[in-house]
Amino acid sequence: MALMPKRVKHRKSQRGRLKGNATRGNRVVFGEFGLQAVEGGWVKAQTIEAGRIAAQQYVRGEGRLYVRVFPHKSVTSTPLETRMGKGKGEPEYWVAVVKPGTVLFELGGVTEEQARVCLARLAHKMPIRVRFVRRRPA
Amino acid sequence: MAVELVAKVRRERGTRSMRRLRGVGGIPAVLYGHGQENVSLTIEAEQVQHVVQQGSKLVDLRGDINESALVRDVQWNAFGTEVLHLDLVRVSAGERVEITIPIVLRGDAVGTRNGGLVEHVLHEVRIECPVASLPDRIELPVQSLDLGHALHARELPLPDGARLLIDGEQVVVHCVQPVGDEELATAAPSEPEVIGRKAAEGEEGDGE
Repeated sequence: MALMPKRVKHRKSQRGRLKGNATRGNRVVFGEFGLQAVEGGWVKAQTIEAGRIAAQQYVRGEGRLYVRVFPHKSVTSTPLETRMGKGKGEPEYWVAVVKPGTVLFELGGVTEEQARVCLARLAHKMPIRVRFVRRRPA
Repeated sequence: MAVELVAKVRRERGTRSMRRLRGVGGIPAVLYGHGQENVSLTIEAEQVQHVVQQGSKLVDLRGDINESALVRDVQWNAFGTEVLHLDLVRVSAGERVEITIPIVLRGDAVGTRNGGLVEHVLHEVRIECPVASLPDRIELPVQSLDLGHALHARELPLPDGARLLIDGEQVVVHCVQPVGDEELATAAPSEPEVIGRKAAEGEEGDGE
């Protein structure tokens, strides 16, 4: 089941603009290795889930995967074969707004070789360019 | 262990000149503490990278200035690829300092052979320590860690004269049973609840 908020203040949101780099959530905090976004974009809840499953299948029983992004934003669309107008469409899916530098996933309890393979599998699912990162020195 | 850094006193300030400085392989730094005047410095990027990668905390400044200093803060760019600025604080040999030290796990836990998963919960610890015995990292042996057991902050091998500044009961590492592929199968609703809207109202009840 794809992620979505339990409670929201408003069902629909405006698109907004994606400016600047991530100043929060841009370092590996929980695990030892991570997957960092190099460019910005919207990542769908289904995509996050697909990535999670791809990685989880690889590290099963050996490492721990952390998902660092959450789809807080709803995206609406007008149904097919509908005339224009009649107001904003209904929420269709949920996305996480990702700024360049955001760490999307983290991995702990595995070797670097294993982490590289696992996160590469995950990276293939992502709609944006990502790179492998290590925990920054304290 | 102290690492030597060649530092030049810097007079230029401001964003633009610092960008230019980084462009030619310099890293801006500042030295302060002991009630003395702040000194702006320039250090070569290669040397800074070496110190940061090694995780060295104590540095000996040479060049225009001859002092011992502690790396108090490192500023990175948004991607964590380049060091932007270094904060150095003056220290003397007999002084005690408060500092954050990384914890590194050593060895393979017994629990992993029994199907357990070693989870490193606390990666850094804040300690108070004499400058003379300041470690770059604290190495924690985990060979004896069995499934269902944990090692706490109080069990960390601290250097002589060091004192923990966090709760000793805090878990540093534990060995747990790996959680299965926890599908989020908790019958999630198709749409979230809207705060402030009464349940009786329909989906189209927004009326705006």
